[in-house]
Amino acid sequence: MPLYSAGRRRVIIALALTSALLLTLDLRGNRLFDAARSGFSVALEPFQQAAEVASAPVERLWRAYSDFDALEEENLALRAQVDAQRSAEIAAQNAIIENQDLLALNSLESLASYDSVTARLVGQSPTNFDQQVEIDRGSIHGIRVGMPAVNEAGLVGKVTRVAPTSSVIMLVTDPSYAVQVKIVSIGGEQPDQVVPGFTTTTVEEPEETFPGSDQGAVREEFLISTSTSTSLPDETAVETPEVEVIRETGVLRGQGDERLPRVSFVAGNSAFGRIEVGDTVFTAGGSTSLAPPSIPVGRVANVITRAGTAGQELEISLSPELGRLQFVRIVLYQPPTELQQ
Amino acid sequence: MIGFLMNSWVARVIPIGLVLLAIQTTLLVELRPFGVSVQIVLAFAAATGAVGGVERGAVVGFTMGLMYDLAVGTPLGATAVTMALAGYVAGVGRLFRIESHWWILALQSAIGAAVGEAMVPVVRLFIGEAAVSGTGLVTVVVVVAVAAMVCSPVLAPLGRWSLSLQQTEMKLPPEIRSEV
Repeated sequence: MPLYSAGRRRVIIALALTSALLLTLDLRGNRLFDAARSGFSVALEPFQQAAEVASAPVERLWRAYSDFDALEEENLALRAQVDAQRSAEIAAQNAIIENQDLLALNSLESLASYDSVTARLVGQSPTNFDQQVEIDRGSIHGIRVGMPAVNEAGLVGKVTRVAPTSSVIMLVTDPSYAVQVKIVSIGGEQPDQVVPGFTTTTVEEPEETFPGSDQGAVREEFLISTSTSTSLPDETAVETPEVEVIRETGVLRGQGDERLPRVSFVAGNSAFGRIEVGDTVFTAGGSTSLAPPSIPVGRVANVITRAGTAGQELEISLSPELGRLQFVRIVLYQPPTELQQ
Repeated sequence: MIGFLMNSWVARVIPIGLVLLAIQTTLLVELRPFGVSVQIVLAFAAATGAVGGVERGAVVGFTMGLMYDLAVGTPLGATAVTMALAGYVAGVGRLFRIESHWWILALQSAIGAAVGEAMVPVVRLFIGEAAVSGTGLVTVVVVVAVAAMVCSPVLAPLGRWSLSLQQTEMKLPPEIRSEV
């Protein structure tokens, strides 16, 4: 039988057309397909439960084989890190409380303003091209599509599919993920050095004191140290320079598992030169953004200069370690524009 | 109608698909050699193509792909078309071979699975999803192909059973066949 017989061609054409039709209908949104997905999930569940039970010993054996050395090394490193962060944590907690008080005082939004649901990760995406995880909380717990997922370290992703008792979260690293962010940069330059065309806010804090800091350290510890200086002994305090806070908004997009997410600017400007490696990145919020403002996202890991008027891009080192998620918190937030609808 | 369905390949392929999907979404998301998720459903589609030929491979691959899309939540038809292609490509080898040695089937399954997995980012790009990074794609394709080859001795008989095929099915070139 030849490779391209009439019958064979008909089969291939029929399958290709069916695929195209299904894709078109599904991408436009189809309730019938959604119902079919829900029904199929129910049908598959007993099989999955049986497979989980049967494969548990194999999984444990595999983990013991593949993870032991790495876990031992990581454990030692983490112990050292925990010791180092213990003191910083106390200062940070104080700062958070004061920050929330200030935000409440000024009627500004903060993450603490929203209810949230804590969920456990129960699965990962079985494909090699999607960065998604499944959690054990769903629509009956108030979760809706689009809500942001966070953990203690910061933004994890957003909810993309909701079933009654489970949901799927698209991680920040997924190539389809995008969120508006702001980059907060603490600069020490004088106002006449400010690059034109950027939104800048200058916060003058004369006589502000920091423990044992020099000018370089101010840059990294501004957010904490401004609110913790009162609890620290005076003898360690030093005078700090004027602090300039630069905020620039852009869109953060995932780049897949192996590459860092990137921020491209809404108004790209080749003269952009104030953002530096180590600057902090937060969600920008806004009436159409799916995430509320000021969720920590990460730090600038690399500033990429592009030719011409393409402006610059930033590579962001994410705060949460997405490969080791156990629990996430779904912030029950919906943008004002959606609530109005 | 019901009797026909019960006796047809559909009645055997769907339960097999459910079991393989359960394995895919539980065990194989944890066991990731070189960080790659082994695609057992794709391997089955390719193995069925290797034992059943081009049309059967494509149709079974399409069915398995639809089930995969329903279970995983990927756009309906996206995985179906890649698995259909995997079954088709794996089945092409059947047009030329005389005997179905296990290692030939394994090789066909590996090639089919590799083509199917490599097509996933292409199809995603076509349907408007963000481009998947090329970094690591080679590793993914190689691991998926090797896994399909390793699983072939188990999956090929399963595919043969699902299609009600005889184990030894000689296939002669047309010129010899006409003489016979």
